[in-house]
Amino acid sequence: MAGEILIATHADVSAFREAAPLIEWLIVTHLAGQPERSTMDEGLLGILPADIRGEEARRSALNRALSTLEHTRIGGAQLLRREEVEAREAPELTDLGNLFRLNGLPEERLLRLLQERSPRTIAEIREHKDFDDGRAGNAIGTLKRAGVISVRGPEVHLEKPELPEDVRRLATILKNLGSPGGDWVGGFDERDWAVIRENSRTRGSGSDPLRIRSQKRYRIRLLVEFDASHESFERTAEKAMAGSVGPLTPEMLRDGTWRGKEFRRWNLALRPAAPPIGRRHPYREYLDSVKRKLTAMGFVEMVGSLVETEFWNMDALYMPQFHSAREIHDIYLVKDPPRARALPAAVAARVATAHRDGGGTGSTGWRYEFDADRSRQTILRSHGTVLSARTLASAPKVPGKYFAVARCFRPDVVDASHAADFFQIEGIVLGKTINFRSLLGLLRLFGYEIARATECRFVPAYFPFTEPSVEVHMRHPTLGWMELGGAGIFRPELTKPLGVDVPVIAWGLGVDRMAMVALGVDDIRDLFTADLAKLREMKVRAERH
Amino acid sequence: MPTISIAPGDLDALLGRALPESEWEARLAAAKGELKGRDETTGAWRVELNDTNRPDLWSAEGIARQVRSLLEGAAGKRQGYPVFAGRTSPRLEIRVDARLREVRPYIAAVRARGVAITEPMLLALIETQEKLAENYGRRRRFASVGLYAAGKLRWPLDYAAVSPDEARFVPLGFEQPLTLREILEKHPKGQAYRPILEGRPLVPIFRDSRGEILSFPPIINSRALGEVKPGDSDLLVEVTGTDLRGTVLLSNIFAANLADRGFRCERVRVTYPWETPWGREVATPRPVSEGVVVDLAEASRLLGEAAGAADLRARLVAYGCEVSGEGRGKLRVVPPPWRDDYMHPVDAIEDYAMARGYGSFAPEMPADFTVGAVHEVTSVADRVRDHLIGCGFEETIGNVLTDRATLRDRVRRGGVEPVTIANPTSELHGVLRDALLPGLLRLEGASPRATYPHRAFEVGEVQSPHADADVGSRTLVHAAALWASPDVSFSDLHALLEALGTYLDWEVSLAPQDHGTFIPGRAAKVQFRGAPRGWIGEVHPEVLDAFGIRTPAVGLEVVVAPVPETSP
Repeated sequence: MAGEILIATHADVSAFREAAPLIEWLIVTHLAGQPERSTMDEGLLGILPADIRGEEARRSALNRALSTLEHTRIGGAQLLRREEVEAREAPELTDLGNLFRLNGLPEERLLRLLQERSPRTIAEIREHKDFDDGRAGNAIGTLKRAGVISVRGPEVHLEKPELPEDVRRLATILKNLGSPGGDWVGGFDERDWAVIRENSRTRGSGSDPLRIRSQKRYRIRLLVEFDASHESFERTAEKAMAGSVGPLTPEMLRDGTWRGKEFRRWNLALRPAAPPIGRRHPYREYLDSVKRKLTAMGFVEMVGSLVETEFWNMDALYMPQFHSAREIHDIYLVKDPPRARALPAAVAARVATAHRDGGGTGSTGWRYEFDADRSRQTILRSHGTVLSARTLASAPKVPGKYFAVARCFRPDVVDASHAADFFQIEGIVLGKTINFRSLLGLLRLFGYEIARATECRFVPAYFPFTEPSVEVHMRHPTLGWMELGGAGIFRPELTKPLGVDVPVIAWGLGVDRMAMVALGVDDIRDLFTADLAKLREMKVRAERH
Repeated sequence: MPTISIAPGDLDALLGRALPESEWEARLAAAKGELKGRDETTGAWRVELNDTNRPDLWSAEGIARQVRSLLEGAAGKRQGYPVFAGRTSPRLEIRVDARLREVRPYIAAVRARGVAITEPMLLALIETQEKLAENYGRRRRFASVGLYAAGKLRWPLDYAAVSPDEARFVPLGFEQPLTLREILEKHPKGQAYRPILEGRPLVPIFRDSRGEILSFPPIINSRALGEVKPGDSDLLVEVTGTDLRGTVLLSNIFAANLADRGFRCERVRVTYPWETPWGREVATPRPVSEGVVVDLAEASRLLGEAAGAADLRARLVAYGCEVSGEGRGKLRVVPPPWRDDYMHPVDAIEDYAMARGYGSFAPEMPADFTVGAVHEVTSVADRVRDHLIGCGFEETIGNVLTDRATLRDRVRRGGVEPVTIANPTSELHGVLRDALLPGLLRLEGASPRATYPHRAFEVGEVQSPHADADVGSRTLVHAAALWASPDVSFSDLHALLEALGTYLDWEVSLAPQDHGTFIPGRAAKVQFRGAPRGWIGEVHPEVLDAFGIRTPAVGLEVVVAPVPETSP
């Protein structure tokens, strides 16, 4: 480690002393006084000013000061480093433990009372000011079992003035934990641990003096030769610094004093901890990249409401009202209002007729009694295709290409592969020249350009709203054969009632799995993680193109 | 989508020759089927059938029939199913009670004889019966199926209406006779399917000429006549339902399946006391589809290459259809009797493409030129995101579905109720968020192990109740930011809002106003050009407590843009 130790100038130190908050200064001077210039962060908690109250606040203040110090440089050298990360269990004082440490354990207090005078009555002990915490009963019980005292009628007699070993150990543990720098570094033996566990059974309930905390510990090492006493520091520093330049300053540039001097070589091997920086959510970044590719291919984005009607979500897509995907366990219904106020009358009537008997589309229709009231049922959109239906009904461009990255909702049980809500990437292509072969061509393009496929194949599929329907399977460079998405040419029973007279390709891509692989996530819920620390670990792998 | 189980070797037996497993797997595509897995112990395949409008494929018989048709059809040979060719009036009769017209009007049936049914065969038959009744039959409401040992029956049979208290019999699974009402109340099947007959003073009963009860459709069969056992070689399959075509179609599927197993099928005459779409006397099974007329020019346009009449005809025949000329570049295509999924010529054209194999069509790049663009809402939202990221904020994505307590009680907010789900799967996902800040506070509460400072934001959709909207609410894009750090204060976030306002041209001003989420005197309405657009404030300690947050935090939320119902 000697190679990492650089000497700071007195000016650097003075500037630091002026700039650094008290806590940072305290830490540095504390470490400077340590023979090996290292300690555990637990040891530092004790040196914090007493006016920082509460366990969490002290930890947070210490953590902050250490992070700052890790990024502070004196004379260009990193000041401090936390290393040797390890996770282990350690006891810590509860509020009760702190009280016991200050006032003594109940057993200690009882022994003291009896040593002053024995016997005493139980009532007298209970009412003694030393037992205003109501712990007399426990102490009497423990000491009686250990034979330290005996209880005869209402009187308590001292038998042998010696605390049981477990009590003595506990007292020592409390004392150690409470003093600055005194913590698990000294180590607890097996018997200590038994005592610790015995006295930390009820986690967080406040009725035990200790709690076992599992946490990461750091060894903290001061990286700069540093003497808190100014006189000696000054002498060392001046000798060592003579003739070399530390940080370049505006004054040096103005006066030209840097000329002829040697620039001290910084230690570049030090790796600072990465500070949190502003950045896009990795999943968003992935979705953004898909959006960019689609717009580059000439697709126009569609957006729409999260709350929809069964009409737009299903009827307009020629999904019969009896279709199994329309059952109550597959769709979220909105409570209030249960029905939309109105639907566009002309389109609604044409769609109803198409379901009933084909309505002049050249089809027999689904041949059932269409329920117009059900059309107005309010629901959460269950697929992105609803946006395509709405676009078709509002005079889209021909030729035209549209896409949506739509948040969708289905009442699946939330687990590793089902999120409460999820994104679907879907769209349409309209044009006089659209046909089955151009559908396959488009899907192959998606496979190569969006999903990095090395090979694609097409399999027959079924969707109530397309005919022909196709599923595209692709060979992914790392995942092998997988399903990329489903597509087809919208049925005339769907397009004609919406006012479209050209063929329309409908496509949907299942990108979640690729996104999860790209982000190194194997549980879909992690894409929506509510833990900043986890989020900071997630990164997007660079793409080939 | 139904998933069925197929015993090892069954497909080969039905096809009449053995295909390697890999070939079967590939050929499942012709039935829109997918091999999902194999049972470890029995080796049975689990096959998922994707076409919800092709119930004929939901059995090993159906899949094998489709594949056999493609294999042999190419050689011009078609498997005969004489039962569908019958023209004379059948000997066997079922009489329908006029009072069933309003309850469950239709019945179709087929008798099948000549093979002693084996246990695996019977199990497969029962599985098909259940899949068809549950899935195609919409949980038996639309159609349901019953199987009987036909040898014990006295013809003609009666499909009659009775009061639920009038008839009693011993149902399958029970030892004692129960009235129909008792069956609906006590029998597991009665409890499961009771809603179909809810509120009906009269319910269906299926009896023979002696008055012996076969079953109580669509609930349960009788133990005496409605139980088929291995070894039986004389079966009756009956289908009841609310739709004549659907009911007859299912009897067709069973007739074809049983014929494939070697049974001789016999038709049944159903006589109605009213005029059905097919008259007062309907012999079942019988073909149901009239087919479609395919225009060759239309087919060529849809496929993207010239479709020749000869090729179209040959492929569709191979796929199992009957094809006849309709003159002037048109063909009539009629699917086999076990199918009724042709609504439009495109259905036949897809069958042609499948019969040819999708791989035989050369993909072609769509050639039309179009200009791509993200929606205006997205470009506005993206600018806000970019600037917040530039300010050092980390982007998060929260779920739109959340719990009411987080949106209201925990952030000490009242007002209009958020959009609520009528059928939530869990209280945790019971409402749609109408604000983003509660989600950021939850994230902050769950992030104590991340190094401070925490500067998190989300730009995303919320659903805001709105009396004027057709669906009672509107989708908006909001932006929210939360800054949590031991030394953060109002002015830190306020300064940031100023910077955002400058670059995004928001013309921000603050109107101090208290808000339950924030500390009194440290909260303000955010205004853009003088109009209210959101809130900013120091989060109230009670709110911090409610989320388990141990550091001070300041929060900001503004509306970025409304999302139109329809775009572009």
